[in-house]
Amino acid sequence: MTDIAPRSTASGPGRLLVAVYGILALAATARGIYQVAFKLDEAPVAYLLSLVSGIIYVVATIALAKDWRTVAWWAVSIELVGVLTVGVLSLTVVDDFPDETVWSAFGQGYGYIPVVLPFLGLLWLWRTGRPATTA
Amino acid sequence: MIVALALLVVALSVALAGWALWFVVRDRAVILRQLWGGAVVEAVLVVQAVVAGWLAATSSPDVDGVLLWGYVLTQLLILPIAAAWAFAERTRWSSVVLVLAALTVAFLEYRLLQIWGTV
Repeated sequence: MTDIAPRSTASGPGRLLVAVYGILALAATARGIYQVAFKLDEAPVAYLLSLVSGIIYVVATIALAKDWRTVAWWAVSIELVGVLTVGVLSLTVVDDFPDETVWSAFGQGYGYIPVVLPFLGLLWLWRTGRPATTA
Repeated sequence: MIVALALLVVALSVALAGWALWFVVRDRAVILRQLWGGAVVEAVLVVQAVVAGWLAATSSPDVDGVLLWGYVLTQLLILPIAAAWAFAERTRWSSVVLVLAALTVAFLEYRLLQIWGTV
């Protein structure tokens, strides 16, 4: 209660966030590497985005675990823009997205977790950024 | 892919997730017996990997090998990471992570069946 300093992003519920980000990082990066390495010519836009999304998840995971707030803000924000943009594009410009990526159709293939997660991430960064006494 | 083996993996990992969820509710950290439970799931996964390898080698099914083994290896990694987490963090959050890990294993099993063309 007397704690004035901002809480670490890796404390309390932040652990769950780190764990979910970690699993998505693993899933998206593995998928991205596989797609870029073995069938890049089939859908270069989608597959490169797959790999990029994986890298962003890796950065976000590490930043949240290490309490690197600035990096975490950037990574989660880019992720939010990414999932919304790719979500819309994958439903409208279908030709460029013939195969699934983590962000396709707002993360449908992953239980829509990819579209919910950045909101939770930003909320968490905002909450932990304020002094604990006012929370 | 042996469907019975896959169902066993899903049943065991969902049971483990339920056990860990009970611990989340009770505000308890993961205990060693749960890690033994995780080891049983892991053992079934290893058996499944061997069976899949044998089936892939003998019957040459129409399966994307790299994709299949990517999922098999990823699935094998999840529970050991959760176990390491349980040792490092002696709070309820280790139980939360175990719930998540066990459900991920179950979900990856479903994807494996899809890749193999059984579902």
